[in-house]
Amino acid sequence: MSAEEAQVATDERTESREHVVCREEELPPGAMKLVPIGKYGVGVFNVNGKYFAITNFCPHEGGPLCKGRLGGQAEVDSDVPGGAVLTRVGEFIFCPWHQWGFELATGTTSVKPEWSIRTYPVKVVNGEVVVTR
Amino acid sequence: MSEKQRIIDSSVHMFFRKGGEIRDFMNEPYKSRGIPDVEMDWYGAPGGEYDPDIAKRSEGGYPSSDPSLVSEHLFGEQGVDIAILHPMTRGNLPDRHLTNAVLSAHNKMLVERWLEKGNSHKRFRGTIRVNPEDPKAAIQEIERWKDHPYVVQVGVPLQSREPFGKPQFFPLWEAAANYGLPVAVHIETGTGVDFAPTPSGHTRTYPQYVTFMALNYLYHLMNMIAEGVFEALPNLKFVWADGGGDLLTPFIWRMDTFGRPHLEQTPWAPKIPSAYLPGHVFFIHGKLDGPTAVDEQMVGQWTSLTGKENMFMYGSSYPHWNVSTPDQIQEGLTDDQREKILWKNAAELYKLELQAPVPG
Repeated sequence: MSAEEAQVATDERTESREHVVCREEELPPGAMKLVPIGKYGVGVFNVNGKYFAITNFCPHEGGPLCKGRLGGQAEVDSDVPGGAVLTRVGEFIFCPWHQWGFELATGTTSVKPEWSIRTYPVKVVNGEVVVTR
Repeated sequence: MSEKQRIIDSSVHMFFRKGGEIRDFMNEPYKSRGIPDVEMDWYGAPGGEYDPDIAKRSEGGYPSSDPSLVSEHLFGEQGVDIAILHPMTRGNLPDRHLTNAVLSAHNKMLVERWLEKGNSHKRFRGTIRVNPEDPKAAIQEIERWKDHPYVVQVGVPLQSREPFGKPQFFPLWEAAANYGLPVAVHIETGTGVDFAPTPSGHTRTYPQYVTFMALNYLYHLMNMIAEGVFEALPNLKFVWADGGGDLLTPFIWRMDTFGRPHLEQTPWAPKIPSAYLPGHVFFIHGKLDGPTAVDEQMVGQWTSLTGKENMFMYGSSYPHWNVSTPDQIQEGLTDDQREKILWKNAAELYKLELQAPVPG
């Protein structure tokens, strides 16, 4: 499917379609590209070479989730100064409005699974990043 | 045949018979020290600190200083089944050792006079007072009394120079949880080495003071949740004894919204803040707590929000001016809520054996 076809498919919400996001080199590790898919758009992330895609909408109060910062998961470790370590850096997105955090890979929050967000599969085909939604 | 309404009064205060009597319960080198008098109220209630009728009937002693007279009032006239006693002192003193000695004298008086000699009806239960500014001594004091069959609770002042989630207090909460004793937090009347009653300073008059002072529980509670105290101590139970539970809902909304649905700064408390309320947090509920009668139609719904109906416990605050009688518990509660507030929540918390009345 071409990029043009992907644009055409933007408003089709009833069934999954493949959408070309960009060339692989346009989305290096640490980058996010917001593509106009669906009502709110979809953010496609490259985290250390792994791709993730989520809707640009926070289920808490509707904030632009994908515009938030990437962060990690703090875990208790009583053996280190400060008593906690930051793990899995970059694998979580924090909404800019109230700092709600979601795991990019699964869409779940740290504290309440029923507030999870949907995630979409991403693959690379012939050097192009493709999201299925 | 209709059965009598069950009632547990979870907040009854008691005092020495008269000002200087405390010294009879103390040893040197503290017995002869200067101790704030029981009359030393910082903000005086207009019309007096105590219910005029109770004061008048106290027969020359201090109000609520004679177990038989208090028994007559509460168990005889008010129909109370069990009363939880909470001795009051006059503030945190600069010398923590002296504070410890003053509290210990109150505990000795409570146990000897009220839980033993004055308790042939077995209706009094007691709160052991300890000093959170000296956690080691506080734990010793708990261990001195914890096995007494009628000691059901530990009491600390609401006034504090640090919020109660801070680590210096943890051993004290841990001991209370391990011994199965809830911790009741009550405003210490009078003043001592404290901060101002509001975060913005001192109010001028008593009505402002009494309206807002109780809300200091919010700072302690939010801090304890965020610091993971309830996560670390699943058996810890806190009773905020000055009311204000009606305001819990909007504050926990705020905390759930922004508090931390992520774990960057507080991995020690991995649940949504409101998840730490049930089973850990209780409030004494009296006639100062809303919604007011004007909003009567909201009372049932507001009381159910945030699960408050499982946290509120009727407390009279006897013998104070604002003494609430059981029939003054709000109109508008559902029957189920009224039963929980008048006795069921307290019976469960304090493990008191009161059977539900058999429907007639």
